[in-house]
Amino acid sequence: MAEASDIIQVADRDGVAFVRVRSKAILSEAEVEAFGAALERLAEMPGQRVVVSFLGVHHLTSLVLGALVRVKKLLAESGGDLRLADIEPHVYEMFTITRLDRMFRIFERGDEAVASFLPPAET
Amino acid sequence: MPSRRRPSGDFQAWTEKTLPTHLGAIRPVETELMARLRDLGYDEDHRFAVRLAFEEALVNAMKHGNRMDPSRQVRLRYCANPECVEIHVADDGAGFNPASIPDPTADENLRKPCGRGIMLMRSYMDEVSYSCSGQEVHMIKYRNP
Repeated sequence: MAEASDIIQVADRDGVAFVRVRSKAILSEAEVEAFGAALERLAEMPGQRVVVSFLGVHHLTSLVLGALVRVKKLLAESGGDLRLADIEPHVYEMFTITRLDRMFRIFERGDEAVASFLPPAET
Repeated sequence: MPSRRRPSGDFQAWTEKTLPTHLGAIRPVETELMARLRDLGYDEDHRFAVRLAFEEALVNAMKHGNRMDPSRQVRLRYCANPECVEIHVADDGAGFNPASIPDPTADENLRKPCGRGIMLMRSYMDEVSYSCSGQEVHMIKYRNP
């Protein structure tokens, strides 16, 4: 099985788990399993807020979409959420075709997705 | 549904392969097909579409058709020429009725983790049809639809 660290990199950004997908294409079963398992581990923390950035990712399969749906459901059960960012046009089209763009909040940039979890700054 | 325009496969040799039921077997043949499309000058949109459908068809054949049984095989035939790309994928499974697959975009199915592969294949290819038994899928992507 592929190592999770080969597929994703996780950083804490203001209490939000920011997941950067490192692989340009998540295709093989091992990669999808590692990707899903790593996100599910994040979902074990109640109320976890997660952003997945697909910056540089140019190809996905329906298996990855399924993994994202499963993790979003897990997070929602504990009061958390999964939001997505940096999705290139070809890949974004897969979300629109499958109507998953209505299920996920998708942001153009990762920092916008992180900010969406934070309380608005006082002026 | 009959093809509205038959690909000119007569002058183009078909590539035929028998793959083991092992998902790791997909990438080498996918790389080979993508190189062929690049050589033929297919643009990025076409290559993305064909790659996605090719991957989904082979994953479906291995996971849902052959149930990942290593004693079963997947038979692949494809032909890429300047006009179109035509792909056949057949498995050794029990077959299925494509009409029985629920619409993954229906509200009640949106939160289900699976069932989107066939829909993506239909969306990205110009023609997708199944044999009567459901053991073989046939797809075509035209260069100029």
